[in-house]
Amino acid sequence: MDKSFSGKGWGLVGIAALILLFLLPAFLPRFYIYLISLMLVYGLLATSLNVVLGYGGVFQFHHCVFYGIGAYATALFLTKTGAPFVVSFIAGGAAAAVLSFLMGLITVRLSKLYFGMLQISLGSLVWAIVYRWYDFTGGDDGIHGISLPDIISSQKGAYYFTLIVTLISLFIIYKIIKSPFGSVLQGIRDNPVRSGMVGINVKRHILAALIIAGFFGGVAGSLFVVVDHTVFPDMLFWTLSLEVLIMCLLGGWFNFFGPMLGAAIVIALRTFVSGYTVYWALVYGVVMIFVIFFLPDGVLGYLQEKLQPAKGKAVTKEG
Amino acid sequence: MKKSFLIVLGFLFLLGVGFMPATSHAAKTLKVGIVDTYTGPATAFTLDVLDGFKLAAEKINAKGGVLGRKIEYLTRDDKFKPDIGLNMAKELVMKEEVDVLMGTINSATALAISDFAKAEKVPFFVTFSKSDRINMQKGHRYVFMMSEHSEMAGRAAAEALAKKPYTKYWIAGDDYEYGHSIANGVWKHLQQLNPKVKLVGETWWKVGEADFTPYITQILAAKPDFVIVATGGSGMVNFQKAAKATGFSEKVPFYQHTAIEASTLAPQGKNAPVGVFGTANYLFYYPNSPENRAYVDEFKKAYNRYPKVGSLYGYMTANFIAEGFKKAGSFDKEKFIDAVEGMAIAGPTGKIAIRPCDHQLELPMYFGVTKVDPQYDFLVGGDIQVVPAKDYMPTCEEVKASRK
Amino acid sequence: MDAVWVLFSQKVLSQILVGLSRTTILFIVSSGMSLILGVLRIPNVAHGSLYMIGAFLAYSISRLFGGGSQGFWMALLLAPLGVAILSLIAERALFQHLYKREHLMLLLLTFALSLIFGDLTKLVWGAEYKSVPVPQVFQGFVTVFAGLPLPLYNLFLLAVGPVVAVLLWLFVNKTKIGKISRAAAVDREMVSAVGINVSLVFAAVFVVGCLLAGLGGVLVAPTVSVTLGMDHTLIMETFLIVIMGGLGNIWGALIGALIFGLSQSLGIMIWPQFGIIFPYLAVVIVLMIKPTGLLKSTW
Repeated sequence: MDKSFSGKGWGLVGIAALILLFLLPAFLPRFYIYLISLMLVYGLLATSLNVVLGYGGVFQFHHCVFYGIGAYATALFLTKTGAPFVVSFIAGGAAAAVLSFLMGLITVRLSKLYFGMLQISLGSLVWAIVYRWYDFTGGDDGIHGISLPDIISSQKGAYYFTLIVTLISLFIIYKIIKSPFGSVLQGIRDNPVRSGMVGINVKRHILAALIIAGFFGGVAGSLFVVVDHTVFPDMLFWTLSLEVLIMCLLGGWFNFFGPMLGAAIVIALRTFVSGYTVYWALVYGVVMIFVIFFLPDGVLGYLQEKLQPAKGKAVTKEG
Repeated sequence: MKKSFLIVLGFLFLLGVGFMPATSHAAKTLKVGIVDTYTGPATAFTLDVLDGFKLAAEKINAKGGVLGRKIEYLTRDDKFKPDIGLNMAKELVMKEEVDVLMGTINSATALAISDFAKAEKVPFFVTFSKSDRINMQKGHRYVFMMSEHSEMAGRAAAEALAKKPYTKYWIAGDDYEYGHSIANGVWKHLQQLNPKVKLVGETWWKVGEADFTPYITQILAAKPDFVIVATGGSGMVNFQKAAKATGFSEKVPFYQHTAIEASTLAPQGKNAPVGVFGTANYLFYYPNSPENRAYVDEFKKAYNRYPKVGSLYGYMTANFIAEGFKKAGSFDKEKFIDAVEGMAIAGPTGKIAIRPCDHQLELPMYFGVTKVDPQYDFLVGGDIQVVPAKDYMPTCEEVKASRK
Repeated sequence: MDAVWVLFSQKVLSQILVGLSRTTILFIVSSGMSLILGVLRIPNVAHGSLYMIGAFLAYSISRLFGGGSQGFWMALLLAPLGVAILSLIAERALFQHLYKREHLMLLLLTFALSLIFGDLTKLVWGAEYKSVPVPQVFQGFVTVFAGLPLPLYNLFLLAVGPVVAVLLWLFVNKTKIGKISRAAAVDREMVSAVGINVSLVFAAVFVVGCLLAGLGGVLVAPTVSVTLGMDHTLIMETFLIVIMGGLGNIWGALIGALIFGLSQSLGIMIWPQFGIIFPYLAVVIVLMIKPTGLLKSTW
């Protein structure tokens, strides 16, 4: 069942890819650096969602609450307090982790669709507060022109910062998935009843996973502030959560890098299709239907199958 | 080992897609990048802006363009989301290298793009957004406000309402920035102009509220003389429908900004409520001048519908862009801005200028009341009073004070 | 003191009465979703799009028949059928191949469809606001409770709600298709083993569910401006109502809609600035007390 990334993957090619990413600003125009920064942010967001979605089997329908709260926390710290940047940045992930814990305490009692719906309700509550509390959060205007330290306020600086933080985060997430904790989590996904019988505290385990997912979602939110210098209440709205979910499913949610690829595809589509047609949604929808019918394991799953057909012909989750 | 390779390939492939030039032209053009909402209910307004712009641009191009270059416009849909809007603005400036940015109906997006335009030193013409922060608190050299902002609209309405005999006022509206801003604008100035007025209560409903009857009953129970209704977008029509259905429009007079405008009245046909007070920046039937009639005819011929207020914003923007570069004599953006400040251009409603201190387009405001007109299948504004721009714009001192 | 209390409660009653008519639309659309989610286990994100298409079809059909009262009644009859046909096409072409797949894949499909339907609406009808007039017979209002008006059309909606509820209940509990679908929701293999074409039953239920969304769109059209973006206004409420009420349970959808609608209008009376959180609070409370919904659900 475990189709996740095998250790041997980090070979010469992996390192070459890393070097390439670090060298990109030398030869790519500014706009593409910005775009890749966005892809990294959303990629991290989608990967953090996948910690509980793909590896935990949790119906995390409103992940973006954590993303948004992380972003707002960092933005508010930067604009309303004189705190140094590092503190403001960490505040994002921290706030998201705390919220994740609180919401998780309530939602973890339920499972599957009900979990998702309860999370949406709670998340919408948080959204409503941010949206309405005009005096504190800027309400539907959001907060813009957030000033950042010179090193990272340029396009290039933001890119490098985002790249480094994303790589570190991905590494940590990967290690967590590969650890015993991660194995237990996947065991819970596959068979919660049996896991419980073997003595695992299922709910506590899932709660821990939720906190991890929420934390990194918040980090992604703080990175967004670095890249775009703005925050908006839309970042906490359920439609964005649905879109990030789509990114995971599109890219392949049984793969570690699937969500990143999904995020990259969606961002690319979103940016470039609009230049060609007013009916970009139609294009997006048709592409998704294509993926659903012909690439059921997501894009990465499909590519994987093609290149490693004999290996890992794993049993799919539900018959 | 193959997987990370795949990922890199995947990334490079996508980049390759992006490298495809979206527009490849032999001749250089004057590029205008338009970021606006072409998804959802706002589209009804933004297409007017685009069509007004196109009408003017095509005329200008037919006469040879601007300094030898034709106007080329690129549209991007921000789907009413500020982060997408900002993304698109960045694409237009960094990748397409537009000369000028234009857009959008969402004030939050406009503010975000305005910040970006300032950093990139690209002129940004704001069309349809109504937040007064755009060129007051957050105004700067690179942003131009081509519509009235809510503070201004409020003042214009207050000018007209102050002369009326009503004293017990109620305020109601959409509970978001625009709603509060309009309501504040009206009330603040009304109090200054007519000290006798009293606020007897307030009601705020969520944006997109479809069922106003509970709120209307609440307001009726309090028996005010007059109600200031601060709705926007589709809320305008929804409220008017509810006002008619409950008989509210017959019982208590009320005011809405853009109540007399075609965007609100035309969709309702003959069923819109009569006697509603409103303000609007453009009416296709008033003034009944040769310029306005010519404009309406041109627009109708091209697009098979009457021009609404958005079209004026787009039309004037195109003309200012063209004349600005012509006067500057080059495509240097700084010279362009210097040229446009204070410039006046003749449009369908007369000669209108852009005020230098806050880059505000000095549109006249029309105050009127809805009534039936046998010529049309829908209601129009009657008893029109014109409030000239200077009477309802904030003074340059006030603008400067807001930026401290 | 008594007079104040009387006035207050009359005001509250008035609020409630008016809030109830809005509940009808919520209930009708939600009951459709309840069937689809309860029986077919599809989280139908495209439900809002079908509601919107119902409203736009109502506009076109009513104009076809003169735009007056006759137009409205024809629209009421034909627009939901139009939506039903559209959903049948979607079901046969796309959904029926995916029933065995993950829920999340079905979610993805309905999301894709909502995008496509949204743009199709833009393509066919354009972006301008449309309006459907209230039929002649329902124009005007009655005064209830201390001179406060209730539009006649709202009274009509109040009447339609229970009628639809009863018809649906009969469908689900008394017709053959209804009974089979309830069984199939619980154990699909068993039902097909008995020789019943489950696929056709699912198609029927799906079409009925979508027809209800379209019906909701027609009914709401005279009270609002028919615009693009209508698909997003209801969809989250619909999901939450269905979860609150119990999947596949018609009366559950009714109760859920009532709770949602009333908590909203009363909430705004109590705390105007944050009134919009009350319905979400209600959902949270319900789910914490009864996680599978207030009434019996099909799974």
